[in-house]
Amino acid sequence: MNDLTPKDRIFRTFKKQTIDRPPIICPGGMMNAAIVDVMNKTGHILPEGHYDSRIMAELAKDIHENTGFENFGIPFCMTVEAEVLGSEINYGTLACEPKIKKELYSKASDVIFKELGLMEKNKRVNSIIKATYTLSKKYPDVPVIGSLTGPISTAASLIDPISFLKELRKNPSNAHSVIDYVSNHIIELAKLMIENGANIISIADPTATGEILGPKMFAEYAVRYLNKIINVIHSMNTPVIVHICGKMSAVKKYIPYIKSDAISTDSSISLKMLKAEYPELITMGNVSTYLLEFGDEEKIANQTLRLVSEGINIISPACGLSTSTPLKNIESMTKMVKES
Amino acid sequence: MLVNKEELYKKLADTVVDMDEEETVDICNKIISENLDAYEAIDNGLSAGMDRAGKLFDEEEYFVPELLLCSDAMYAGLEVLMPHLKAKDEKIKQKVVIGVVEGDTHDIGKNLVKIMLETAGFEIVDLGRDVPPLTFVEKAKEEKAKIIVISTLMTTTMEGMNEVIEILNKENIRENFKVMIGGGPISQGYADKIGADGYSVNAAAAVKLAKKLVLA
Repeated sequence: MNDLTPKDRIFRTFKKQTIDRPPIICPGGMMNAAIVDVMNKTGHILPEGHYDSRIMAELAKDIHENTGFENFGIPFCMTVEAEVLGSEINYGTLACEPKIKKELYSKASDVIFKELGLMEKNKRVNSIIKATYTLSKKYPDVPVIGSLTGPISTAASLIDPISFLKELRKNPSNAHSVIDYVSNHIIELAKLMIENGANIISIADPTATGEILGPKMFAEYAVRYLNKIINVIHSMNTPVIVHICGKMSAVKKYIPYIKSDAISTDSSISLKMLKAEYPELITMGNVSTYLLEFGDEEKIANQTLRLVSEGINIISPACGLSTSTPLKNIESMTKMVKES
Repeated sequence: MLVNKEELYKKLADTVVDMDEEETVDICNKIISENLDAYEAIDNGLSAGMDRAGKLFDEEEYFVPELLLCSDAMYAGLEVLMPHLKAKDEKIKQKVVIGVVEGDTHDIGKNLVKIMLETAGFEIVDLGRDVPPLTFVEKAKEEKAKIIVISTLMTTTMEGMNEVIEILNKENIRENFKVMIGGGPISQGYADKIGADGYSVNAAAAVKLAKKLVLA
């Protein structure tokens, strides 16, 4: 059992087979580990790593080697999908992640549905899939995780988010067609990632939280379109991780309806209790990112050990890491899992 | 026919809670044509409706989309009533500078706090989202604000809040302003750590805190 590769270990975890210890990962995208400490050490830096495939692959490798996370996770942002569909992006700096400069549309009814095929024509998408290909060929034992921005967040990056949220309630048919449109393009990106070597797809949809949408709209929009995307990824024999942000009390009962292979949550959620309530779930998480940034190594190790001993299936940070998180703090988490 | 104004205000509040913007405007027009007091209508109608919407939000009956639609109705009503506010109703307002820290473009929480503070009678200078720490300080000085409200939804950007306070300290003007912070990853612990004057968990609590801070 000790000779499990990181890839074997996480695949066995998804299949609920026996393993020596849980995998410790950081999936990329919203939850990427491109911290300043690593970039300064190796010189492969952002924002270049957002669009240059060589630097992207090198940085993903640097993160894997330095932090101890047992995966590659790319891209390092959640703006690719909206950029391809036409929103204006600011690539940020070494320490500040890319963001949407301006949403393309002010309301859902303004959206012009562009034909499929945009993803593969986009330069940045090509960098991502090239980096994916390089990493998967060069390091066959380490899983490459392709990270996607979920359909609600992507739609809210394409349309002014305030007016979009209102339309979810006021104008459901327009909202549905836009989210469906966005989902179809996200599916194309997922396919390109998988065809080029991604072993796992991770989806984070921070706008689709229970706190923002409430249970009715979470089920109507988030669960429905996440599952639409997950079904296609599953048809390509690839497992999916879904990360749910924020407090979940309002929407907890819908979590088992999400067809992903693992559910990752924020630090405010007790994964132990979630597991007790829904034993069939594969849970992932949730070392506090606040603790990782400001806490000391011992506290981080203790919290990590607690998660391992509670039987949490995959250990990872609870949310997006701050770029100023100290490397030694992350090492203290990954070491603890590997020694457990 | 004599209109029962209390009943009319109650109905006005209902339209806000029911997110029925058209009906809100209709009732506000009626209030004007009946020569009723605009301030009273705002206070007992629009604002009371927004309070109830806020409670429903706290109770997890309403969520962000509903609250946004309620506030649209409230704003539509305000537009009708505002020009009819009599001079004596002009209150001396406390100024608040509000914004989302640099690196974060999530401004839903900030907008909710802004609306609730506005409804409660504060004068708001909205710096928008993705605001550099120094801008908070410069604007607060320029506008002679009493309170600086800073929001973020992301752990990656919360350090910007600390920077605002550090700039205030460095310029020796920390005492001139109250600093309130809030947003998903923020806690009372973090507020204490960086030396903010207060943290609030949601928009309604932010209003209570702001009132408390300006009285202090």
